[in-house]
Order: sequence, then C-alpha cells, then structure tokens
Amino acid sequence: MGANTQDKALVVIQLSGGNDYLNTVVPYTNDLYYDLRPTVHIAADEVLRLNDTHGFRPGMEAMKQLWDEGQVAVINGIGYPKPDRSHFRSMDIWHTAEPEKIGTEGWLGRVIRELDPSGENVLTGVHFGRGLPRALGCRGVPVASVGDLDTYGLYPDMQDEWARKAALGTFAKMYGGAAGGDVVREYLGQTGSDALKGADILRTAPGKYTSTVEYPDTGLAKNLKSIAQVMCADLGTRIYYTSLGGWDTHSGELLTHAKLWHEVSSGVGALMADLKAHGREDEAVILIFSEFGRRVRDNGSGCDHGSGGGAFVVGSAVQGGMYGEYPSLRLEDQLEGDLHFNNDFRCTYTTLLEQWMGLEAASIVNGQFEQFACF
Amino acid sequence: MSTHDLTLMAHLLRRAGFGATPDELEIYAARGYETTVEALLNPGEAQAMPDDIIRRYHVDQSELRQLDGAGAYWLYRMVTTQCPLQEKMALFWHGLFATGYAKLNQARALLNQIDMFRRSGLGRFDSLLLELSKDPAMLLWLDNQDNHKGAINENYGRELLELFSMGIGHYSEDDVKEAARAFTGWTLKNAEYMAVRASKDSIWPYGRINWHFEFREDDHDDSDKTFLGETGPFNGEQIIDIIARQEATARFISQRLFQFFAADEIDVDGEPVVEAMMQSYFDSGYAIRAMLRTLFNADYFKSAQTRYARVKGPVELLVGGIRLAGSYRRPTLGANQLAFQAFYMGQGLLAPPTVEGWHEGMEWIDSGALVERINFVAKELGDVSKPGIRDLIFRLDAANDGPLTPEQLVDQCLALVGQLEVDADTRDALIEFAAQDGDLDLRGHQPGDAAETRVGNVLRMIASTREYQLA
Amino acid sequence: MSPQVSSTVALNYVKTIGIVNNGYNGRGYANPYDVAVSRDGRIFVLNRCDPARASAIRIGVCTLDEDYLAEFGNGYGDGDGQFRLPVAMAFDSQDRLYVTDEYNQRVTVFDTDGHFLSKWGVFGHDAGQFDGPAGIAINADDQVYVADQHHHRIQKYSRDGEFILQWGEEGKGDGQLNMPWGVAVDTQGDVYVADWRNDRVQKFSADGEHIATFGGPGQGDGQFNRPAGVAVDAEGLIYVADWGNERVQVLGPDGGFLQSLRGQATLSKWAEEFFAANPDEWEVRQQSDLVPDLPPHLNTPYHISSQTEAYFWGPVAVSLDADHRLYVPETNRHRFQVYQKA
Repeated sequence: MGANTQDKALVVIQLSGGNDYLNTVVPYTNDLYYDLRPTVHIAADEVLRLNDTHGFRPGMEAMKQLWDEGQVAVINGIGYPKPDRSHFRSMDIWHTAEPEKIGTEGWLGRVIRELDPSGENVLTGVHFGRGLPRALGCRGVPVASVGDLDTYGLYPDMQDEWARKAALGTFAKMYGGAAGGDVVREYLGQTGSDALKGADILRTAPGKYTSTVEYPDTGLAKNLKSIAQVMCADLGTRIYYTSLGGWDTHSGELLTHAKLWHEVSSGVGALMADLKAHGREDEAVILIFSEFGRRVRDNGSGCDHGSGGGAFVVGSAVQGGMYGEYPSLRLEDQLEGDLHFNNDFRCTYTTLLEQWMGLEAASIVNGQFEQFACF
Repeated sequence: MSTHDLTLMAHLLRRAGFGATPDELEIYAARGYETTVEALLNPGEAQAMPDDIIRRYHVDQSELRQLDGAGAYWLYRMVTTQCPLQEKMALFWHGLFATGYAKLNQARALLNQIDMFRRSGLGRFDSLLLELSKDPAMLLWLDNQDNHKGAINENYGRELLELFSMGIGHYSEDDVKEAARAFTGWTLKNAEYMAVRASKDSIWPYGRINWHFEFREDDHDDSDKTFLGETGPFNGEQIIDIIARQEATARFISQRLFQFFAADEIDVDGEPVVEAMMQSYFDSGYAIRAMLRTLFNADYFKSAQTRYARVKGPVELLVGGIRLAGSYRRPTLGANQLAFQAFYMGQGLLAPPTVEGWHEGMEWIDSGALVERINFVAKELGDVSKPGIRDLIFRLDAANDGPLTPEQLVDQCLALVGQLEVDADTRDALIEFAAQDGDLDLRGHQPGDAAETRVGNVLRMIASTREYQLA
Repeated sequence: MSPQVSSTVALNYVKTIGIVNNGYNGRGYANPYDVAVSRDGRIFVLNRCDPARASAIRIGVCTLDEDYLAEFGNGYGDGDGQFRLPVAMAFDSQDRLYVTDEYNQRVTVFDTDGHFLSKWGVFGHDAGQFDGPAGIAINADDQVYVADQHHHRIQKYSRDGEFILQWGEEGKGDGQLNMPWGVAVDTQGDVYVADWRNDRVQKFSADGEHIATFGGPGQGDGQFNRPAGVAVDAEGLIYVADWGNERVQVLGPDGGFLQSLRGQATLSKWAEEFFAANPDEWEVRQQSDLVPDLPPHLNTPYHISSQTEAYFWGPVAVSLDADHRLYVPETNRHRFQVYQKA
C-alpha cells in the first residue's frame, strides 16, 4: 500500500508461556464465562469494549486505542490440530510451522533466505534477545541476536573504550587473514568478519535516531525501541523478533496477566506512535502470538495449559476487526476441556507472507492455507 | 620434557578431555603418553564437586524441576572432574543417543541417562545398548510406551538401527518392524500418567515425579521374528546381540568415535584407523575402551594431521575455558547461567533439537554462535582475578628474569593456554596487539594492576583466535 | 532438670499443605526452606525459590485450614527486606520474624505483618561476622543463635544483633562442627545443632559448652546422612530433618531412637483444586501405582523419594508449634506435612 515491498518489515512479538486468551479478549456478556471462571475472570464493567459481546482486558488501553483507529486485527480461535500443551513442543510447532513432525527449519529463517538468498545483508533478520529462537534458525542463514543494542557485538564486557577498539582491530586482522586453503579456518574467518561488520553497522543505529516519543520503562519497550532505531536507520532489515516471558499463569493470574498486558500494550502503542512520528507507519506490521491459550476452567488461582488461543496483527496497513471465530465455551464444543481452535496458525502466517511480504507462502509454511482478508 | 611431549599431551587432553592447565599438562606429560591414555581410559574416583555441597546451595539442582538447573549440575561435574574422559564420553553418547528435554519435561530422568553413560560408556557396546533400551527417558522420547503387542510403534526400533548402531542401508523396513516387535512391553512404570505429565509439562501438584523402567510381559510380543536373517522368539536382548555382531555396527561406532575424538572429517589416512578400531571392537568383545585405546595410540592420532582437525563444540569450549580460568570451584550463585550460555552458543545440554543430535563440526559455527563463543572465553580468560589466570600470571613472572618483549609475551601465553599453535598471520596480529605498550615488566605485579591487565588482554585475544575455536 | 524420658512417641499424620507455584505471586510454594508458626497460629513458609523465579522470593502465610492469607518479601536483591539465598527463620517472644540469608550474609527482622524492621550482619571472619549464616533459633530471653556455616561455628546475639559469644571450629571432635545447618533451643535453654557434614546432632549449654553428641553417619535408626534441621519440644524430644536419608527422625532426650517418618503426603486443598480443573491428569493418576519398587541403581533415599510422591523429598527443616504439632517443609515437593503428637 504505502510502502514499497522491500521496505515492508514484519515485527514478531512472542508471548512465552501461554497467554490466557479468554482473559485477553473477554466474552463479557457470556454467562458461561463467569460460571467456568469463578475466580479468574474480568468483571464486565472493567472490560474495554470492542463490540457488544467482546472486549479487551483492562491494561490494554493503548491496544484499544489502536483498535479504535482500525489498526488491530484480532485472530480468534487460532491453533493447530492435535494441540500440544507442552511449552517447548508447542512453541517449536509455531516456530517451524510443523505440527505433525519435528521441523528442522524456522519459518522466519526460511523467509530470510527467500528475501536474501545469497546472504548479502547479514542484517536482514534481527532478533532482540539472547540466543536464537528456532523460528529464525535455518542453516546458513545469518541472523543477528542482539541482547543490548548499545553494547552489541564483541567484547561488550570491556569497559575501556580505547582497549575495546584495539581488541576489535586485532580481531579484524586475525579473522581477515588468509586461511591458507583450510576450509574451516576460511569459514571461521568469513563468519567472524560478517559478525563484526554486522555489529559495526547495527551499533550506528541508536546514534542516528532521534524521537519525541517516550517509551515506557520496561524490558519489552526497550527492545521495541531498538527495533524502531534499526528501522529508522534503513539497514535493510525485514524481520524483527522479540519476546516477553512470564505468561504461564498457573497461579496468581489476575495480577500477573494485567501487568504483562500492560507491558505489551503500552510498548506496542509507543512503537506505533514512534513509527508514525517518523512517517514510517506504513513500513511495519506487528504479529503478536503465544504458543497456546489456557484452560477454560480456572484452578482457583490461575489457569493451566490449554489450547485454541488468539493472536493479533497490528499496523496501519491492517484492516482492523475480528477474524476467525470466537470459540464456543459450551462443554460439547470444547476440545478436552480447552477452547476448540477454528483456524490454523499457518493461515495467519500465509496471510502475512503473501499479502504483506509479497512472498509465496506454501514452501515456507509447509502447505496451502486459507488467508484472512485483513490487508 | 620436550615441547613436543607437551604439545602432544595438550592435544590428547583437548580430545580426551577439556584441555589442561599448565600444572595438569606437566603432571600428565611426566607420566608419559601411554600411561596417561590408560589412566584416562580407566577413570577412578572423579572427585568432582560433592553432590551434597551442590544441592545444599543450589536448591534447583536438588529438585531439577527445570532444565537449566540440570544443565548446570552436569556442567559442575565437567568443570571439576579429575576424570575428563568419562565426562567426554557422556557428552559423546549424549550427542549420539540424543534425548531431549523438550518432549520429556523431566530433567532428573535425563541426568539419570547421563549417569548411565558415565557408568557404562567405556564398557561393552552391547551392554550399553541394552541399558539404553531400558532407559525410561529414551523410551518415552521415542514413544516406546506406545509400542504394543499387536499395535507396534516403530520409532525406537527404527532409530536403534538407523541412528544408534548400523546406519541406513544395512537393514530393511521389515527389520525395523521386527525389532519394534521385539521391544514391545519395554516401557516405564505408570507410563500413561507420566506421558500425560510430559505432554503437559505438568509439575502439579507436588513437583516432578521421576521415572524407571518396567517390562510389561502381557504387552510383549513373544512370537517368532526374523531379524537380519536370523529367526527366533527374540526379545530386545537378542536383537541387540545380533546388532552388536554386525560389521556395520562396528564401522558406524568406529566412525562416530573417530569424528568425535580424532577429526571432523575421515580422510584417506583416517580410514585405516577406523578399520583398526573396528578390529579392536571385535577382538575385545565390543569394548569401547579398546577402540579408544587403539585410536589414541595410533600414529595418525599423534601426528600433526589431526592437530586442530575438529571444531570444539560449545560445551567443550565453555568447559575448557572455565577449567583453565579456575572458576566455579565452589557452588556459585548464577551457575545456572552457564547452562543458558551453552544454549546461546548453540548446544543446550540435555536439549538436543531432535534425536539426530546436534550438527557438529563446522556447523557449530554461525555468526550468532561465534559471537557468543568468543565473548564468553575472551571474558573468562581475560579476567585476572580468576585463580587459574592468576596462576598463569605467576608462571609468566617466574619464567622470566626481566621484561618480556611482545614476542615473548605472546609465545609464552600461547604455551600457557595449552600449547596453542596459531598461523603466522594470527601470531603477527597478536604481537602487534601486545606491542602497543612496549615490553612488559611483570616484576612486583599487584592484583589487577596495569601489568596484569596487559596479560589479561593478550589472553583475551588468544581466546579470540580462530585456532582457539578448534580442538 | 531432667525431663521425663519417653520410650515411645506417637506422631500422627494430619495433613499436607501446599502446591508448587511457578509464578510470581499467589498461593503455593517454590522450594520452601523453612516453616515457622506465630503465636496466633499463622504458618509462615520461607520460599528459597529457584534462580529462574528468584524475583518471586517471598514468605507465604497461611492457616492450618489452608487459607492463604498473605505474602511478603521484597523480592530478589540485597535491599532492605530482600533476599538472595534465604535459609531459615525463627520468631522471638514478640512474634518478630528473623530470617537468615547465606548470600547476603545477614539476618533480617520483620514484624508479624511482614514489614521490614531491621537487619544485621556482614561477610567477614571476625566475631559477629558471617560466612554463610544458615539455621537460626531464639531462646526465651530473645537471644539469637545463628549457625555460621563456613566458619563452622555458632554465634549468639542479642535480638538487636549485638554479638554475645561464639563457639565451634571445623572438626570431628566433640564441640567441633562441619558446615552446621539447623539450630534449636529447648525449654532449658540448651542449644541443639544439626552438625550437617558430621552427620550428627550436638547439644550444648546456652553458652556453648558441649553436653552430648547424637548419631553418626548411616541409614540405620538413630544414624543420619547430612541432617539439616533440628527441633526440640517441651518434653525434650529431639526431631531431626535427616535430609540425606529423606526422612525425619525422633530421638528421646538422651538421644535414643524413637521413631522414623518417611512422609505420607496426601492431596492438599490446593492440589485438589488443581485436579478438579484437570480431570485428564486425575484420571490417569488414579490408574497409577504411586509407591513403585525401584531398580537397584535408583534404590537410594533421594531417588526413591523422587519417584514416590508421598515420601519426604528434601526435608530441610523441622518446626513445632505450641500445640505439639510438627511441620516438615519439603523443598523438592513445594509443600509441608503436618503431624500431631498424641
């Protein structure tokens, strides 16, 4: 729409632990909800109403604001066949787009490979966090994993700037040297030099960036701000990934869930405002997902692992609204005590890949899936 | 003893262990190569950090409810053991018989499996396969609790043949089915409840419940099977007997051991060594110990051809760095971070991505992993407050009467970190780095002063070399 | 002076309270390390917490009827009222709660509602300083005894933290200690120490004169394997949390073996609520044998308890209340079991 295809970026925010969808998009007029959630529920008068039957939980004020502006697509009842209620396995399924068997390639790793087959731009995909999520893992595809953008790169523990510079200089020499035909040393040299180059480029981003938008003082907001900085630096990055943990609310859910959504919502609100202030609101679409929802019935203090949750697609290019079907709470409609999903998460992936990123999705998500008309 | 002796010993200890401090190197080299090989192959008391001390301090490592505590527990062992080959063997078998936390959500059961590798990893291969087939973590990992008389699940039968013994091409699909039939009834106690808990990552109400093997006779198919040309009412034991007799098995295990201990690639000169290991396998009655004895004593292994012919795995690199620097000699807050560190580097202990294990050799290296690897060891070796590094500084001071030239500083540090050999360009870059501040006078050095910091920085750069990433 | 010597004791199991709490607040426990009961009968449980949940470190308060009343503790760190590696706690005569922290090297004092009052202690080798404060006990005169783990000594303070005296050094002889853990005081003011790495319990006078030594290494009656906690009731019966043997032993005042408990936990109210919400797990659990026989290589107390849910797993302390009840927190099972002395 607004931006050129090559400027379009996808920002993925992973909610790790299993977000309680029933308490996120609340069916506040449904008596069954209150019956099944005697302790862990949101009162009808506290809900931020999206329509006559559903609303966001309090704490999501910024997301509600975006909803009112038509920029939030809610994907209701998202999941996959034979839901797995183990964090690791379910997250792997989302990461590799393979519910049936153990996948070996991350879907976004494949996307990066599609976008940059020769690996010319080592910053095509950037992860904000430590380690590399499987979603981005694909053999031969370089992805930067940034713990802290200000100190990213080699020797972040060296306090003395001058000494660090000297060390980096020597590193460049050692890794730039000829390898005498040794394949392994050659490869090490290339990889090390790429990493150094990528780090050098990335570290310029904060310096080039100015903004009037104030981000909240939270871990997620810090990462989202870094994403904005990199986006504004025009480094050619197309895939951004970050995550927030703590969603595994088996006990003490009401307090924790409120805090978590406030962190996500206010962070996303700040990012969107920041992009708008830079005239780049057309460049990014945000996907927010979690590995599963939580059980229909509460356990007195929280809720246990379930399935059939929800996801969000946020952006100015997005046609806001409710997509998918809100799952029924009736016992006969449930799936082993959980909400029954009605759309495969790969439909959402396919929608994003084809309609936003301009890619052919089938080989990336291992099949053909129906799309949503949310662009 | 000669530099050659020390270099050879350093090579052996990098392979059969996690490298060596200068003290360890001198002790081993004084004993002699063959004696050291025998001592490594016959581990005595590991004398690692005591279990009660660890568990009093680290409550998570007593309970093992989560993975990071379990990873740290094993890392403590690797870091403090006096029997490094025993831990290296456990790591080898863990990579080959890869069993992962993600599906099991049971860290105690996984550590029990590692214990089994420690106990039996150097012994007879058929005994090891038998213990593996009764290991509850392995059984649940490969769904053998779903392998029933009259309704088989082929997963364990297949991987036993494909990934754990003979490799593809040496058996038929029918053999897979027959093997699966022989292992029906090999399950774990309370399998149904445990499987549900695993699939839900359930810790409720009272934490994890650990597992042990159970043979369900009424679920076992005891009728005749035909496996690799032999027929009989085979149970799992007999299948393993037949497997152990196959040349394909001898070759498969010899190749894997070779690639883990000798070189990532088996070239034309390595082939005869593999054949010799196969011979040892049969001559000794399938003893892994004998195969390794053959390998470590082979001229090929001792020659320059195998020097730095392997990329260190992340755990190897991490543990080697910590052992040299002397960290974690007592329980230390934050030890569980080590488990995360290995994960960031690409090798999450007890959590291999699939039953195929990790992709090793050059595939350990990608830009993200390389940055994590270098940052970790550079920081570890560059910290002059660590006891092992202080040791190196004292040795440097004692070995020199006066100031060191940049060449001497670099060359002596390369020797101290384990007789590291670097190419000319690397050495030049290191010397240039060291030369920034001219000659180094260590006499009268005080903890953390400028002179010591200079040594730390040189060690940091040595840890950053390409060669340090190799074993 | 000498209390009536019991030749038997009847300890009846009452109930189990607890459930694992993997979150940041709410009912349940994360590696409970000690239990203390206030004068008004509220049960305080100290959560040591594993590192991933360290920010959830807190003390939870409940009743014997399993009403979760409150929780306090300002999370992880070294600020006032914060913890890093909390070990043990004790009430004084005013129901002020004293908690040791072996990483922050100090004792912190809270009021009965959980508000921070004061703290004392620093790392060091001088009198009054700590290297790993562990068990804590308070006598009728509000004098505080702290086991100073790595100095292998017991230190005595006023309730304001003024150093009074110390005794002990590393060793195996009478009066010597090795990484002592739990401490208790009896009605006569004598002091009992779980002499952890010596696998025994020692009894001292109020000023540290050695009186008696009980036990030694082993799995038999009256023997111990790394005893972590000790408590003494009004009759002088000695309760020992025999950590390494995964059991609690009761000795007479003369140290004679009376009874051994290995735990017989049942479902707490919170556990029942969990199963009500998760019938699929309940169903398969019903089909299971939860007291299995184990193979030889797993036939040790630790491994047996790891697979037998009802048994004690990680009993690190023993506590008593004014009504002759015994509380045993199990750090690996996130609960405590309650017994009633007849």
